[in-house]
Amino acid sequence: MSVPAIPAIDVSVTATGLGHRFAPGRGLESLDFALAGPGVVAVTGMNGSGKSTLLRIVAGLLRPTRGSCEVRAEGRAIDPPQRRTIAGFAAPELAFYDEMSVEENLLFAAAARGAGAAQEAIATALAATGLEARAKDRIAALSSGLRQRVRLAFAILHRPALLLLDEPGSHLDGPGREIVERIVDDFRHQGLVLLATNDERELRLADRRIELRSRGLGDPA
Amino acid sequence: MPTGESNFGAAVWAILRKECRTEWRTRYGLNASLLFALTTLTTVSFAAGRLGDRVDLMSAFLWIVLLFASMASLAHAFVREVDGHTLTFLRMVASPAAIAVGKLLFNLVFLLVLEAVTVPLFFILMDAPPPQWGRFLALLGLGSLALASTSTLVGAIIAQTRSRGALFAAVSLPLLLPVMAAAVSGTRNQWQNLSVRSELGLLLGFTAAVLGVSVLLYDHLWND
Repeated sequence: MSVPAIPAIDVSVTATGLGHRFAPGRGLESLDFALAGPGVVAVTGMNGSGKSTLLRIVAGLLRPTRGSCEVRAEGRAIDPPQRRTIAGFAAPELAFYDEMSVEENLLFAAAARGAGAAQEAIATALAATGLEARAKDRIAALSSGLRQRVRLAFAILHRPALLLLDEPGSHLDGPGREIVERIVDDFRHQGLVLLATNDERELRLADRRIELRSRGLGDPA
Repeated sequence: MPTGESNFGAAVWAILRKECRTEWRTRYGLNASLLFALTTLTTVSFAAGRLGDRVDLMSAFLWIVLLFASMASLAHAFVREVDGHTLTFLRMVASPAAIAVGKLLFNLVFLLVLEAVTVPLFFILMDAPPPQWGRFLALLGLGSLALASTSTLVGAIIAQTRSRGALFAAVSLPLLLPVMAAAVSGTRNQWQNLSVRSELGLLLGFTAAVLGVSVLLYDHLWND
Protein backbone atom coordinates (compact mmCIF):
# COMPACT_ATOMS: atom_id res chain seq x y z
CA MET A 1 0.00 0.00 0.00
CA SER A 2 1.26 3.49 -0.85
CA VAL A 3 1.35 6.45 1.49
CA PRO A 4 -1.39 8.92 0.49
CA ALA A 5 0.06 11.93 -1.29
CA ILE A 6 0.26 15.29 0.44
CA PRO A 7 1.11 18.64 -1.15
CA ALA A 8 4.85 18.92 -1.85
CA ILE A 9 6.85 20.81 0.77
CA ASP A 10 9.68 23.07 -0.27
CA VAL A 11 12.64 21.70 1.72
CA SER A 12 16.34 22.43 1.42
CA VAL A 13 19.47 21.29 3.23
CA THR A 14 22.67 23.33 2.98
CA ALA A 15 25.99 22.27 4.44
CA THR A 16 28.86 24.73 4.71
CA GLY A 17 32.23 23.42 5.84
CA LEU A 18 30.26 20.81 7.75
CA GLY A 19 32.27 18.36 9.82
CA HIS A 20 32.10 16.33 12.97
CA ARG A 21 34.95 14.76 14.86
CA PHE A 22 34.36 12.02 17.43
CA ALA A 23 38.05 11.28 17.82
CA PRO A 24 41.21 11.75 15.72
CA GLY A 25 40.52 10.13 12.34
CA ARG A 26 36.88 9.39 13.18
CA GLY A 27 33.85 11.33 12.06
CA LEU A 28 32.74 13.41 9.13
CA GLU A 29 35.27 15.48 7.24
CA SER A 30 34.56 18.91 5.81
CA LEU A 31 31.60 18.87 3.47
CA ASP A 32 29.78 21.48 1.36
CA PHE A 33 26.54 20.91 -0.52
CA ALA A 34 23.18 22.45 -1.24
CA LEU A 35 20.18 20.19 -1.76
CA ALA A 36 16.61 21.15 -2.50
CA GLY A 37 13.52 18.99 -2.67
CA PRO A 38 11.50 17.44 -4.00
CA GLY A 39 13.73 14.53 -4.86
CA VAL A 40 15.92 11.72 -3.60
CA VAL A 41 19.60 12.13 -2.77
CA ALA A 42 21.82 9.16 -1.97
CA VAL A 43 24.69 9.56 0.49
CA THR A 44 27.35 6.98 -0.23
CA GLY A 45 30.80 6.24 1.10
CA MET A 46 32.91 3.60 2.72
CA ASN A 47 32.21 2.31 6.19
CA GLY A 48 33.18 4.96 8.70
CA SER A 49 33.11 7.77 6.15
CA GLY A 50 30.36 9.56 8.09
CA LYS A 51 27.08 8.73 6.32
CA SER A 52 25.18 8.06 9.54
CA THR A 53 26.83 11.04 11.22
CA LEU A 54 25.66 13.30 8.39
CA LEU A 55 22.08 12.08 8.69
CA ARG A 56 22.12 12.55 12.47
CA ILE A 57 23.34 16.12 12.03
CA VAL A 58 20.63 16.87 9.46
CA ALA A 59 18.02 15.34 11.79
CA GLY A 60 19.16 17.66 14.58
CA LEU A 61 20.34 14.77 16.76
CA LEU A 62 24.00 15.73 16.67
CA ARG A 63 25.67 19.13 16.86
CA PRO A 64 28.49 19.41 14.29
CA THR A 65 31.88 20.29 15.67
CA ARG A 66 32.66 22.34 12.56
CA GLY A 67 30.75 24.33 9.97
CA SER A 68 26.98 24.52 9.69
CA CYS A 69 24.00 22.57 8.41
CA GLU A 70 20.93 24.61 7.62
CA VAL A 71 17.54 23.06 7.00
CA ARG A 72 14.73 25.16 5.54
CA ALA A 73 11.08 24.29 5.03
CA GLU A 74 8.83 26.64 3.06
CA GLY A 75 11.59 29.24 3.28
CA ARG A 76 11.81 29.11 7.07
CA ALA A 77 15.00 27.98 8.80
CA ILE A 78 14.32 25.04 11.12
CA ASP A 79 16.51 24.96 14.23
CA PRO A 80 18.03 21.56 15.08
CA PRO A 81 15.77 20.94 18.11
CA GLN A 82 12.70 21.51 15.94
CA ARG A 83 13.76 19.35 13.02
CA ARG A 84 11.99 16.34 14.47
CA THR A 85 8.73 18.07 13.49
CA ILE A 86 9.55 17.97 9.77
CA ALA A 87 12.00 15.06 9.61
CA GLY A 88 11.36 11.32 9.59
CA PHE A 89 14.34 9.26 10.66
CA ALA A 90 15.13 5.56 10.35
CA ALA A 91 18.54 4.18 11.22
CA PRO A 92 19.97 0.88 12.46
CA GLU A 93 20.59 2.32 15.93
CA LEU A 94 16.96 3.40 16.30
CA ALA A 95 15.29 1.12 18.84
CA PHE A 96 11.80 0.94 20.31
CA TYR A 97 10.40 -0.13 23.65
CA ASP A 98 10.58 -3.92 23.79
CA GLU A 99 7.84 -4.22 26.36
CA MET A 100 5.35 -2.27 24.22
CA SER A 101 3.65 -3.43 21.04
CA VAL A 102 4.33 -2.02 17.58
CA GLU A 103 1.08 -0.07 17.71
CA GLU A 104 1.76 1.24 21.23
CA ASN A 105 5.20 2.49 20.21
CA LEU A 106 3.74 4.33 17.22
CA LEU A 107 0.85 5.64 19.30
CA PHE A 108 3.34 6.96 21.84
CA ALA A 109 5.30 8.70 19.06
CA ALA A 110 2.16 10.31 17.65
CA ALA A 111 0.93 11.38 21.09
CA ALA A 112 4.30 12.87 22.06
CA ARG A 113 4.31 14.87 18.85
CA GLY A 114 0.82 16.10 19.63
CA ALA A 115 -0.37 14.82 16.27
CA GLY A 116 -4.06 14.68 15.49
CA ALA A 117 -5.74 11.67 13.83
CA ALA A 118 -3.09 9.39 15.29
CA GLN A 119 -4.99 6.16 14.68
CA GLU A 120 -5.42 6.98 11.01
CA ALA A 121 -1.73 7.87 10.62
CA ILE A 122 -0.69 4.67 12.40
CA ALA A 123 -2.99 2.55 10.24
CA THR A 124 -1.51 4.15 7.13
CA ALA A 125 2.09 3.63 8.31
CA LEU A 126 1.42 0.01 9.28
CA ALA A 127 -0.23 -0.69 5.93
CA ALA A 128 2.63 0.96 4.02
CA THR A 129 5.15 -1.28 5.77
CA GLY A 130 3.08 -4.48 5.75
CA LEU A 131 2.85 -4.62 9.52
CA GLU A 132 -0.93 -4.65 10.03
CA ALA A 133 -0.90 -8.26 11.24
CA ARG A 134 1.93 -7.57 13.68
CA ALA A 135 0.51 -4.37 15.18
CA LYS A 136 -0.29 -6.02 18.53
CA ASP A 137 3.02 -7.89 18.78
CA ARG A 138 5.56 -6.64 21.28
CA ILE A 139 8.78 -5.32 19.78
CA ALA A 140 10.75 -7.96 21.71
CA ALA A 141 8.96 -10.66 19.73
CA LEU A 142 9.88 -9.26 16.30
CA SER A 143 12.67 -10.42 14.02
CA SER A 144 15.36 -7.98 12.91
CA GLY A 145 13.63 -7.58 9.53
CA LEU A 146 10.31 -6.74 11.13
CA ARG A 147 12.01 -4.28 13.48
CA GLN A 148 13.43 -2.58 10.39
CA ARG A 149 9.90 -2.27 9.05
CA VAL A 150 8.85 -0.65 12.34
CA ARG A 151 11.68 1.87 11.88
CA LEU A 152 10.31 2.69 8.44
CA ALA A 153 6.76 2.97 9.80
CA PHE A 154 8.00 5.36 12.48
CA ALA A 155 9.92 7.43 9.92
CA ILE A 156 6.84 8.03 7.75
CA LEU A 157 4.29 8.22 10.58
CA HIS A 158 3.95 12.01 10.58
CA ARG A 159 4.31 12.35 6.80
CA PRO A 160 7.61 14.23 7.05
CA ALA A 161 8.80 16.71 4.48
CA LEU A 162 12.37 15.52 5.04
CA LEU A 163 12.86 11.75 5.11
CA LEU A 164 16.22 10.50 6.39
CA LEU A 165 16.81 6.80 5.77
CA ASP A 166 20.07 5.24 6.94
CA GLU A 167 20.64 1.80 5.41
CA PRO A 168 16.87 1.35 4.93
CA GLY A 169 17.18 -2.08 3.34
CA SER A 170 19.24 -3.66 6.11
CA HIS A 171 17.78 -6.95 7.41
CA LEU A 172 14.95 -6.78 4.85
CA ASP A 173 13.85 -9.58 2.55
CA GLY A 174 12.61 -9.11 -1.03
CA PRO A 175 9.13 -7.82 -0.13
CA GLY A 176 10.71 -5.59 2.51
CA ARG A 177 13.01 -4.02 -0.05
CA GLU A 178 10.02 -3.40 -2.29
CA ILE A 179 8.45 -1.54 0.63
CA VAL A 180 11.52 0.70 0.84
CA GLU A 181 11.32 1.42 -2.88
CA ARG A 182 7.62 2.22 -2.62
CA ILE A 183 8.14 4.55 0.34
CA VAL A 184 10.96 6.39 -1.39
CA ASP A 185 8.86 6.69 -4.55
CA ASP A 186 5.91 8.02 -2.57
CA PHE A 187 8.00 10.64 -0.78
CA ARG A 188 10.18 11.77 -3.70
CA HIS A 189 7.41 14.10 -4.88
CA GLN A 190 6.41 15.32 -1.42
CA GLY A 191 9.73 16.51 -0.07
CA LEU A 192 13.38 15.61 0.18
CA VAL A 193 14.62 12.09 0.81
CA LEU A 194 18.20 11.48 1.99
CA LEU A 195 19.25 7.87 1.60
CA ALA A 196 22.49 6.73 3.25
CA THR A 197 23.41 3.52 1.50
CA ASN A 198 25.91 1.61 -0.59
CA ASP A 199 23.30 -0.82 -1.90
CA GLU A 200 23.07 -0.67 -5.69
CA ARG A 201 19.30 -1.25 -5.72
CA GLU A 202 18.73 1.66 -3.36
CA LEU A 203 21.19 3.87 -5.24
CA ARG A 204 19.06 3.48 -8.35
CA LEU A 205 16.23 5.24 -6.51
CA ALA A 206 18.26 8.43 -6.16
CA ASP A 207 18.24 11.47 -8.45
CA ARG A 208 21.54 12.74 -7.08
CA ARG A 209 24.42 11.39 -5.07
CA ILE A 210 26.75 12.74 -2.41
CA GLU A 211 29.85 10.64 -2.07
CA LEU A 212 31.74 10.81 1.19
CA ARG A 213 35.18 9.84 0.07
CA SER A 214 37.56 7.80 2.14
CA ARG A 215 39.79 9.87 4.38
CA GLY A 216 36.86 12.22 4.52
CA LEU A 217 37.40 14.46 1.51
CA GLY A 218 33.71 14.41 0.84
CA ASP A 219 32.10 16.74 -1.63
CA PRO A 220 29.06 16.55 -3.88
CA ALA A 221 29.46 14.23 -6.84
CA MET B 1 3.81 21.51 6.91
CA PRO B 2 2.86 17.96 7.92
CA THR B 3 3.22 18.65 11.63
CA GLY B 4 3.51 21.88 13.49
CA GLU B 5 5.53 22.82 16.54
CA SER B 6 5.68 20.07 19.07
CA ASN B 7 3.17 20.38 21.84
CA PHE B 8 5.14 20.43 25.09
CA GLY B 9 2.25 19.38 27.30
CA ALA B 10 1.26 16.52 25.01
CA ALA B 11 4.85 15.29 24.92
CA VAL B 12 5.18 15.40 28.72
CA TRP B 13 1.89 13.56 29.19
CA ALA B 14 2.80 10.92 26.58
CA ILE B 15 6.19 10.33 28.21
CA LEU B 16 4.66 10.05 31.69
CA ARG B 17 2.15 7.47 30.43
CA LYS B 18 4.87 5.58 28.59
CA GLU B 19 7.04 5.48 31.72
CA CYS B 20 4.15 4.20 33.86
CA ARG B 21 3.28 1.56 31.27
CA THR B 22 6.84 0.24 30.86
CA GLU B 23 7.43 0.28 34.63
CA TRP B 24 4.19 -1.59 35.25
CA ARG B 25 5.07 -4.24 32.66
CA THR B 26 8.70 -4.72 33.65
CA ARG B 27 8.74 -3.70 37.35
CA TYR B 28 12.36 -2.60 36.77
CA GLY B 29 12.40 -0.41 39.84
CA LEU B 30 9.24 -0.92 41.82
CA ASN B 31 9.90 -4.47 43.02
CA ALA B 32 13.50 -3.69 43.99
CA SER B 33 12.51 -0.51 45.81
CA LEU B 34 9.63 -2.08 47.71
CA LEU B 35 11.75 -5.09 48.61
CA PHE B 36 14.49 -2.82 49.94
CA ALA B 37 12.02 -0.78 52.02
CA LEU B 38 10.28 -3.84 53.41
CA THR B 39 13.50 -5.67 54.23
CA THR B 40 15.10 -2.68 55.91
CA LEU B 41 12.06 -1.82 58.01
CA THR B 42 11.47 -5.38 59.21
CA THR B 43 15.17 -6.02 59.87
CA VAL B 44 15.56 -2.88 61.97
CA SER B 45 12.27 -3.63 63.70
CA PHE B 46 13.52 -7.10 64.70
CA ALA B 47 16.98 -5.86 65.66
CA ALA B 48 16.18 -2.67 67.56
CA GLY B 49 12.55 -3.14 68.49
CA ARG B 50 10.11 -0.28 68.37
CA LEU B 51 11.59 3.21 68.44
CA GLY B 52 8.49 5.02 69.61
CA ASP B 53 10.29 7.56 71.85
CA ARG B 54 13.37 8.14 69.64
CA VAL B 55 11.97 10.64 67.13
CA ASP B 56 15.49 11.76 66.16
CA LEU B 57 16.44 8.24 65.09
CA MET B 58 13.10 7.61 63.45
CA SER B 59 13.29 10.79 61.35
CA ALA B 60 16.70 9.81 59.99
CA PHE B 61 15.67 6.20 59.46
CA LEU B 62 12.51 7.14 57.55
CA TRP B 63 14.38 9.34 55.08
CA ILE B 64 17.28 6.90 54.68
CA VAL B 65 14.82 4.17 53.73
CA LEU B 66 13.02 6.47 51.29
CA LEU B 67 16.29 7.73 49.78
CA PHE B 68 17.89 4.36 49.17
CA ALA B 69 14.69 2.63 48.12
CA SER B 70 13.93 5.33 45.55
CA MET B 71 17.45 5.74 44.21
CA ALA B 72 17.44 2.17 42.89
CA SER B 73 14.97 3.38 40.28
CA LEU B 74 15.33 7.16 40.02
CA ALA B 75 19.01 6.98 39.12
CA HIS B 76 18.24 4.79 36.12
CA ALA B 77 15.46 6.78 34.46
CA PHE B 78 17.73 7.92 31.64
CA VAL B 79 20.28 5.11 31.80
CA ARG B 80 17.57 2.66 30.71
CA GLU B 81 16.98 4.77 27.60
CA VAL B 82 20.68 4.80 26.75
CA ASP B 83 21.21 1.10 27.45
CA GLY B 84 18.06 0.15 25.53
CA HIS B 85 19.09 2.44 22.62
CA THR B 86 15.69 4.16 22.80
CA LEU B 87 17.02 7.66 23.43
CA THR B 88 17.13 8.43 19.68
CA PHE B 89 13.48 7.39 19.39
CA LEU B 90 12.57 9.66 22.31
CA ARG B 91 14.54 12.59 20.91
CA MET B 92 12.79 12.28 17.55
CA VAL B 93 9.39 12.76 19.17
CA ALA B 94 10.00 15.23 22.00
CA SER B 95 12.32 18.00 23.13
CA PRO B 96 14.93 17.23 25.81
CA ALA B 97 13.00 19.49 28.21
CA ALA B 98 9.75 17.59 27.62
CA ILE B 99 11.57 14.28 28.08
CA ALA B 100 13.10 15.45 31.34
CA VAL B 101 9.84 16.88 32.71
CA GLY B 102 8.03 13.66 31.78
CA LYS B 103 10.71 11.66 33.58
CA LEU B 104 10.56 14.01 36.57
CA LEU B 105 6.80 13.55 36.90
CA PHE B 106 7.21 9.79 36.65
CA ASN B 107 9.90 9.85 39.34
CA LEU B 108 7.53 11.83 41.52
CA VAL B 109 4.69 9.36 40.95
CA PHE B 110 7.11 6.52 41.66
CA LEU B 111 8.12 8.13 44.96
CA LEU B 112 4.51 8.68 45.97
CA VAL B 113 3.66 5.03 45.29
CA LEU B 114 6.72 3.96 47.26
CA GLU B 115 5.76 6.24 50.14
CA ALA B 116 2.14 5.04 50.10
CA VAL B 117 3.47 1.58 51.03
CA THR B 118 6.56 2.46 53.05
CA VAL B 119 5.25 5.21 55.34
CA PRO B 120 2.27 3.30 56.82
CA LEU B 121 4.55 0.28 57.28
CA PHE B 122 7.08 2.51 59.00
CA PHE B 123 4.50 3.81 61.47
CA ILE B 124 3.36 0.29 62.31
CA LEU B 125 6.74 -1.40 62.62
CA MET B 126 8.51 1.47 64.40
CA ASP B 127 5.54 2.29 66.62
CA ALA B 128 5.99 5.93 65.60
CA PRO B 129 3.84 8.53 67.40
CA PRO B 130 1.08 10.14 65.32
CA PRO B 131 2.56 12.98 63.24
CA GLN B 132 1.32 16.53 62.83
CA TRP B 133 -0.32 15.49 59.57
CA GLY B 134 -0.23 18.85 57.80
CA ARG B 135 3.45 19.46 58.49
CA PHE B 136 4.41 15.85 57.96
CA LEU B 137 2.71 15.61 54.56
CA ALA B 138 4.16 18.97 53.50
CA LEU B 139 7.66 17.72 54.39
CA LEU B 140 7.05 14.42 52.64
CA GLY B 141 5.74 16.17 49.51
CA LEU B 142 8.46 18.77 49.25
CA GLY B 143 11.17 16.26 50.18
CA SER B 144 9.94 13.93 47.45
CA LEU B 145 9.89 16.75 44.91
CA ALA B 146 13.44 17.71 45.86
CA LEU B 147 14.64 14.10 45.60
CA ALA B 148 12.89 13.56 42.27
CA SER B 149 14.08 16.80 40.67
CA THR B 150 17.67 16.29 41.82
CA SER B 151 17.89 12.67 40.69
CA THR B 152 16.25 13.53 37.36
CA LEU B 153 18.70 16.35 36.69
CA VAL B 154 21.75 14.30 37.65
CA GLY B 155 20.41 11.25 35.78
CA ALA B 156 19.95 13.30 32.61
CA ILE B 157 23.43 14.78 32.80
CA ILE B 158 25.30 11.54 33.43
CA ALA B 159 23.17 9.28 31.20
CA GLN B 160 25.67 9.09 28.36
CA THR B 161 28.86 9.11 30.40
CA ARG B 162 31.06 6.18 31.25
CA SER B 163 31.21 4.98 34.88
CA ARG B 164 27.85 6.63 35.38
CA GLY B 165 27.05 4.60 38.49
CA ALA B 166 29.98 6.06 40.37
CA LEU B 167 29.42 9.46 38.79
CA PHE B 168 25.78 9.52 39.88
CA ALA B 169 26.79 8.96 43.49
CA ALA B 170 29.57 11.55 43.34
CA VAL B 171 27.40 14.25 41.76
CA SER B 172 24.27 13.46 43.77
CA LEU B 173 25.86 13.39 47.22
CA PRO B 174 26.49 17.14 47.62
CA LEU B 175 23.10 17.90 46.07
CA LEU B 176 21.15 15.45 48.22
CA LEU B 177 22.79 16.26 51.56
CA PRO B 178 20.90 19.54 52.12
CA VAL B 179 17.65 17.84 51.09
CA MET B 180 18.20 15.01 53.55
CA ALA B 181 19.30 17.37 56.33
CA ALA B 182 16.21 19.56 55.93
CA ALA B 183 13.82 16.63 55.58
CA VAL B 184 15.20 14.79 58.64
CA SER B 185 15.29 17.94 60.75
CA GLY B 186 11.76 18.93 59.76
CA THR B 187 10.37 15.45 60.39
CA ARG B 188 11.93 15.41 63.87
CA ASN B 189 10.63 18.91 64.63
CA GLN B 190 7.05 18.10 63.67
CA TRP B 191 7.11 15.16 66.12
CA GLN B 192 8.43 17.52 68.80
CA ASN B 193 5.72 20.03 67.93
CA LEU B 194 8.33 22.59 66.82
CA SER B 195 8.21 24.86 63.78
CA VAL B 196 9.18 23.34 60.42
CA ARG B 197 8.99 26.60 58.50
CA SER B 198 12.73 26.94 57.87
CA GLU B 199 13.01 23.32 56.68
CA LEU B 200 10.06 23.72 54.33
CA GLY B 201 11.58 26.97 53.04
CA LEU B 202 14.91 25.27 52.42
CA LEU B 203 13.28 22.36 50.57
CA LEU B 204 11.16 24.73 48.50
CA GLY B 205 14.08 27.01 47.63
CA PHE B 206 16.33 24.07 46.82
CA THR B 207 13.72 22.49 44.56
CA ALA B 208 13.07 25.79 42.80
CA ALA B 209 16.81 26.24 42.20
CA VAL B 210 17.23 22.71 40.83
CA LEU B 211 14.21 23.10 38.55
CA GLY B 212 15.52 26.47 37.37
CA VAL B 213 18.91 25.01 36.51
CA SER B 214 17.16 22.08 34.84
CA VAL B 215 15.13 24.34 32.56
CA LEU B 216 18.35 26.05 31.47
CA LEU B 217 20.26 22.80 30.95
CA TYR B 218 17.81 20.29 29.52
CA ASP B 219 17.56 21.70 26.01
CA HIS B 220 21.35 21.52 25.65
CA LEU B 221 21.68 17.88 26.65
CA TRP B 222 22.60 14.99 24.38
CA ASN B 223 23.74 17.02 21.37
CA ASP B 224 27.23 15.59 21.20
